[in-house]
Amino acid sequence: MRRVSRLGSEARLGWTLVAPALAVIALIAIFPLGWTFWESLHLHELRMPWLGKPFIGLANYVEIAKDPRFWAALGHTAFFTVVSISLELLIGLFLALAMNRVFRGRGFVRAAVLVPWAIPTVVAALLWRFIFESQGGIVNALMIKAGFLDQPMVWFIEASTAWVPVILADVWKTTPFVALLLLAGLQNIDLSLYEAAAVDGANAWWQLRHITLPLLKPAILVTLIFRTLDGFRVFDLIYVLTGGGPGTSTEPVALYTFNALLQNLRFGYGSALSVVIFVITFALAMFYVRGLGVRLGGEE
Amino acid sequence: MNLRASLAPLAFCLACSRAAPSNETVLTFSGSALGAEGTLVAKQLKRFMQLNPGIRVELQRTPDDASQRHQLYVQWLNARVGNPSILQLDVVWTPEFAAAGWVLPLDRYEPEKSKFFPATITANTWAGQLYALPWFADVGLLYRRTDLVPNEPSSLEEVVADAKRETTKRGGPRYGIVFQGARYEGLITGFVEYLGAFGARIIDDSGEVVVNRPEAVRALEFMRDELYGSKVAPLEVLTWHEEEARFAFQNGNAVFMRNWPYPVAAMSDTAQSKVAGKFAVSPIPKSATAPNGHSTAALGGAQLAINAYTDHPEAAYKLIAYLTAPEQMLERAQAVGQYPTRFGLYDDPRLAGAISIPLESARRAIESATPRPVTPIYTELSEILQIELHRALVRQAEPKEALDAAAARINAVIDRTGMRKLMRARFAPPPQAPDTNGHGE
Amino acid sequence: MSGGRAVGGAAGNVAHRRTAPRSRGSWVFAAALILLMLFTLFPFYWAIVASFTSDAALFRDPSLWPQHLIFDHYRALFTDRDFITPIRNSLIVAGTTTIFCLVVGTLAAYALARLEFRGKAPIMAFILAVTMFPQISIVSPLYLLLRSLHLIDTYPGLIMPYMTFAMPLTVWVLTGSIRQIPRDLEEAAHVDGATRRQSFTKILLPLAVPSLATTGILTFIYCWNEFLFALSFTLGPERQTVPVAIALFRGQYQVPWGEILAAAVVATAPVAAMVLVFQRRIVQGLTAGAVKG
Repeated sequence: MRRVSRLGSEARLGWTLVAPALAVIALIAIFPLGWTFWESLHLHELRMPWLGKPFIGLANYVEIAKDPRFWAALGHTAFFTVVSISLELLIGLFLALAMNRVFRGRGFVRAAVLVPWAIPTVVAALLWRFIFESQGGIVNALMIKAGFLDQPMVWFIEASTAWVPVILADVWKTTPFVALLLLAGLQNIDLSLYEAAAVDGANAWWQLRHITLPLLKPAILVTLIFRTLDGFRVFDLIYVLTGGGPGTSTEPVALYTFNALLQNLRFGYGSALSVVIFVITFALAMFYVRGLGVRLGGEE
Repeated sequence: MNLRASLAPLAFCLACSRAAPSNETVLTFSGSALGAEGTLVAKQLKRFMQLNPGIRVELQRTPDDASQRHQLYVQWLNARVGNPSILQLDVVWTPEFAAAGWVLPLDRYEPEKSKFFPATITANTWAGQLYALPWFADVGLLYRRTDLVPNEPSSLEEVVADAKRETTKRGGPRYGIVFQGARYEGLITGFVEYLGAFGARIIDDSGEVVVNRPEAVRALEFMRDELYGSKVAPLEVLTWHEEEARFAFQNGNAVFMRNWPYPVAAMSDTAQSKVAGKFAVSPIPKSATAPNGHSTAALGGAQLAINAYTDHPEAAYKLIAYLTAPEQMLERAQAVGQYPTRFGLYDDPRLAGAISIPLESARRAIESATPRPVTPIYTELSEILQIELHRALVRQAEPKEALDAAAARINAVIDRTGMRKLMRARFAPPPQAPDTNGHGE
Repeated sequence: MSGGRAVGGAAGNVAHRRTAPRSRGSWVFAAALILLMLFTLFPFYWAIVASFTSDAALFRDPSLWPQHLIFDHYRALFTDRDFITPIRNSLIVAGTTTIFCLVVGTLAAYALARLEFRGKAPIMAFILAVTMFPQISIVSPLYLLLRSLHLIDTYPGLIMPYMTFAMPLTVWVLTGSIRQIPRDLEEAAHVDGATRRQSFTKILLPLAVPSLATTGILTFIYCWNEFLFALSFTLGPERQTVPVAIALFRGQYQVPWGEILAAAVVATAPVAAMVLVFQRRIVQGLTAGAVKG
């Protein structure tokens, strides 16, 4: 690296500026991540210390691959993530566009939109449980009044219907997050583009499709990545709402990992599950980056 | 609940953490310290410190939610942290903690094992040693509306018949019987009672898995029938934990309820309960159709154990022996209504006023209580059983099929973890040093 | 800056997939917005009503309209339990984390967006990767680490893990935003003799305010509601945050619903207040208009 050239000093400045962020993250995260990888290669059953902690290579991963409950959990997680994200993107985009407008009461709307995100997950899950309770729940009451049901339905004991409160609760809670990220993205779009298009006779729908959405790609990318990350790690919400039931029909991988690690005290196996979750989410993130054609290293 | 009540433990802690002479032994006690229990614990700890100058006890609150407390304990003990010195264990954790080497065996302090109910001692014994002292007991009980069913039912079939009769009457309660049927540990506690009623078990004394024997299948079929056959239990119970069932009964919507003893206080309060003075509690009866059936209760409750990494085991033992002494147990019963684990106290008239069900019923229930399988891998077993039971109850599987699957998977876990030998020889010494050449598979 | 109305009107029909005359489109837009507001606020409204209802009544006939209101839950919150300390702790932890995250994250984002050097993509990937593990797997080793650093039951013991997990969002959003801001203004300033630092603080930062406000709000809320780390890394009331305090309300079987909901309502108030104060900043509005001119 030529120290005198501008390129060299720019690189130095660059690394200096990212150093604090990297330092904090490295300090906190390197050891736990390394420990998790390392544990995943060992047999480590806390309840049976006489077995020691032998190195077993990839045996934990093989066990995961052969475990039907893991694959089922993966399926549930994927289903949950896809449906939730789709709904959240749609509603979030609408809200972002709405929050961007100037109208009376916009301050209230913006604050109100964020309320679900501000409520602790556990409390939100409790609320939605109440709402979908069979006897006194609002949903059943409304559906009976509207004639869709003759008698209260017990939502949580059928696999298919149990997903409804789960997804609704997640969409309710997380759409504000999506809306806010998309709103931030909207701020970066040059308004003169819209004015020019309007002059050329383009209607609102065309403007949305050809100006807004393409320029919103970076924000959509960030939103997709972070929502997918969160979706794949969903735990609290489902734990409180259904506990993974009925049976294991709504059990996501993070809940399965929690069981393995902290209930059954199988640290080796649980760590391997965590690594698998990591690999999947990393692959998805890279897929988004490629798919949306955004270069991480920069546009120019 | 007033200001003083809740701040007492806090003030207690702060006062303690002031001057600390260096030759003082400091113990940390982690246990339930909510509301009235908190005041009581603070009082008893203070008395202990007065009787034992030189020992200081600090109170460290941990969440009462079982899985959260378990998670914290696992985290601390895995890190070999010596605090808290005293651990409050749920009844199914003792073998697990004992096997992991996290709590100290207590036999060398010669605890008064014969003075406690045998079931509570069994639940806390692993590999021939006692690892925790039973502190208070919870047992599953049958609550019934005395205005509708004046006499204690003598069999499960009678319970169902009474429930059916009362719910079909005009103006009768909505539900016949309510229980905890969600997919969690509470489901197993209820199931254990049905198993006992039909003379079945999960694992027998020789360590064999017998949860799919015909009697057990009948027990499960009986439970299912309550939901879909006689329909005395609403489908909602399959999503209910203790509180939902309690409120259903407390609001007058159920004829019978299966629950722990804790609701009695709230339900006797005329301000919030619609059934105050109109209910009674009795042990859960057996089935009239099963030759080996017996009335039983699931054993719950808390025990006190000593952290294996503590620096002061003797002092810690003194503390747990003190807290489980008869006077303290009686005081606890009087203050918060929890059932003592020393059967001698049930002859003491002072206890009669303290727990709000007749002493005889309480004693009968605890004497006949069934511990859940005493094994370190209990949580895995329970999870398998919960899943299969719940599948059978929501009709995703037939009872026989579900229990066969449960038995197969439980056996697989036992084999995988090499527990079979240990479970057969329950009173043999624990295995020795780590096997560095490989693992049990 | 006149764009607000144009953008809103232009895209107002997105949910309805048809072109329409402006007035009908606006009407439909308004209706959709109102419905969404109802959906958003209804559970919270219900939580407020429930927090003024006794537990028994809650299970008896939960109803949409407040029946017999009681204040017991709120009173218990501040007399029986000390709810002030957890709120204080949460404010300190969330506030500090947010500020640090914004500062550190902005510096990193500037470098990633404006400077050329090798390793940018791996850096962004690394920053993101650390958050891809489920929290429950991280909690045990992180506990061991924090313990060895003597940070258990301290503010830094929470602030640093929170920063680590909130940083990726801050960095990624800010990097994206800064990249989209055209360089012309900064280059013009350079030509005029401004240093990098001056163009950063006087030109770039003001334009990045919406993104800063957005990630600030999201980071604050994340810290405010985070439970697992707070439970695992604090030992006593002096450092426990609001979610942990709420979890400690529970008995082994008893769940004090009313108090929990009251606590949630009270806990949401500071956050809502903060959002109300900052909500203007999350939109470009009038702040950058003069500069862009």
